[in-house]
Amino acid sequence: MPRDLVSGLFWLAVAIFAAVQGISLELGSLSRPGPGFFPFWGGVVLGLLSVVLIVGSLRREAPRSRIRPDSSKPLVVVAALLGYLLLLESIGFVAVTFLFLLLLFRLEQRGWAFSAVSAGVGAFASYVLFQLWLKTQLPTGPLGF
Amino acid sequence: MEIFQGVLSGFQVALQPINLLYCFVGVFIGTLVGVLPGLGPAAAIALLLPSTFAASPVSAIIMLAGIYYGAMYGGSTTSILVNIPGEAASVVTCLDGHAMARQGRAGAALGIAAFGSFIAGTLSVVILTFLAPFLARVTLSFGPPEYFALMVLGLTLLTYFARESTVKALMMAAVGLLCGTVGQDTISGRFRFAFGSRTLEDGLGLVPVIMGLFGISEVLLNLERRQEHTELFAPPTTGLLPTREDWRMSTMPILRGSVLGFFLGILPGAGAIIASFASYAVEKRASRHPERFGAGAIEGVAGPEAANNAAAGGAFIPLLTLGIPANAVMAILLGALMIHGLQPGPLLVKQAPDVFWGIITSMYIGNAMLLVLNLPLIPMWARLLRVPYAIMFPFILLFCLIGAYSVGNNVGDGLVMWVFGIVGYLLKKFDYEGAPLILAMVIGPMMEEALRQSLILSTGSFGIFASRPITAGFLLVSALLLLLPLLRRTRQTARA
Repeated sequence: MPRDLVSGLFWLAVAIFAAVQGISLELGSLSRPGPGFFPFWGGVVLGLLSVVLIVGSLRREAPRSRIRPDSSKPLVVVAALLGYLLLLESIGFVAVTFLFLLLLFRLEQRGWAFSAVSAGVGAFASYVLFQLWLKTQLPTGPLGF
Repeated sequence: MEIFQGVLSGFQVALQPINLLYCFVGVFIGTLVGVLPGLGPAAAIALLLPSTFAASPVSAIIMLAGIYYGAMYGGSTTSILVNIPGEAASVVTCLDGHAMARQGRAGAALGIAAFGSFIAGTLSVVILTFLAPFLARVTLSFGPPEYFALMVLGLTLLTYFARESTVKALMMAAVGLLCGTVGQDTISGRFRFAFGSRTLEDGLGLVPVIMGLFGISEVLLNLERRQEHTELFAPPTTGLLPTREDWRMSTMPILRGSVLGFFLGILPGAGAIIASFASYAVEKRASRHPERFGAGAIEGVAGPEAANNAAAGGAFIPLLTLGIPANAVMAILLGALMIHGLQPGPLLVKQAPDVFWGIITSMYIGNAMLLVLNLPLIPMWARLLRVPYAIMFPFILLFCLIGAYSVGNNVGDGLVMWVFGIVGYLLKKFDYEGAPLILAMVIGPMMEEALRQSLILSTGSFGIFASRPITAGFLLVSALLLLLPLLRRTRQTARA
């Protein structure tokens, strides 16, 4: 399937969703536009543009697919980021940062010892920098840091 | 005389020790951000925004602005020594800058980039000094219809300068407008697209969205690219001062680049990247030996580096005179001003002259600091470039996480960043640009309010946009810009 077709269909769905939401939010009248006015027309414009893109992608030949790059690393990173955010408030900044850095250093094939030490130093240094120096309010874990 | 007094009072603000310190920290971090590939000024400023909450508004903006123009200096170092742009606006500098380094003239390239940046940066601040108060007076009379039309023109220009397809750029602008409607509607007070989430009820935060789109997604893309072998030239310790011959060849390109860059910088979306490319094209055309370009022509370094710095100055024009940001960086500065209780726009020069002039004059000082700082520090930056990406990227991600969280001590903002990181990554994969989305998201709420107020004013008649000359003019130009590419295409197909 041509890539523009895929993304065009996705944005068309977003556009329909926005327009429907706009209607349920109240369009108001032209002299008194309601809260749904802008989302509705924004959705309509996006929808029309998506249709233009979709039609264009069907008429042109599908370009040959490029060499697929290896997406496994980005996937791990995306999962690690989510894990960080979900664990941050329960186990505290220092612990979650240590685990996060450890995982990412290991991802690039650094040795265990090197990764553990760097992650430890990194977690401690960022704690000093953000919590103690810049006075950012970072969440603390059960052990108090 | 008014300007003279303004500049004088501005220097009184900018020369206070605390502001000098903030200015120094800003340009220093800016250079660092410019040198390091994969972390742009927009993400960096978003990251550091929370740390300025404790400072006074002037100090905060002075520092954040310093990061922006400082990054323009730093970017050239990486381009010249490693052949990787440290920052998007230094892409063209790779061409001739790296070629010069290969011929053993890295010193001259780095030197002319720094001097060119300084001259252009200073010139653009001079133009800004005279133009901004004048324009602020003109735009003072703008009502909601003028503002609406101007923002339509802004978004049109933005998509006009898009590198990928116009349709896709327009789509991104529409998505951005929709993103801007998330949260509480200012007129009716109702929540839109919030789905009961406390984070979304406050609207999508600019900081997490920018860090997701420009920070996280950039790291994801870099991880995927195969690490190519790069040769890093040992930084020269001597010979940074350009010779008389170098100066002779570079003077005109620097001056042309300054003017070109400043005016392209004003336009929304065009900014530093387009300015550097435009300057390169102009110099190549003006040269009597265009074949030297790409093989180490010093004009090809001097012009674009001047242009991207001048563009950074020009970008302040719409922010300070209209309260409309020209690019993602200005959007964060707009947010920063508002967090500190200031309303950017034509009234700023009247209501907070110390802020208005303090920011402008701090840029003279910042540019001077950069020149003095940069040349001696080049060996240090070069050493930094030897740090492998495998060590660097976990920290970039960590800083983004902390930055997004600390805006409001809210994990929800982190999740917004996470989502937009994935969105940004996919957008790149499917050949979309993130810039129109960001800008439309910022302008969106202003544009919606202006449109709805205009319609309330005219009791529902769109005639209000045709009957006011300035409004009609802006809209007419927008329509022409949208139709022009279409006409050109149909004529081409007709000929074929």
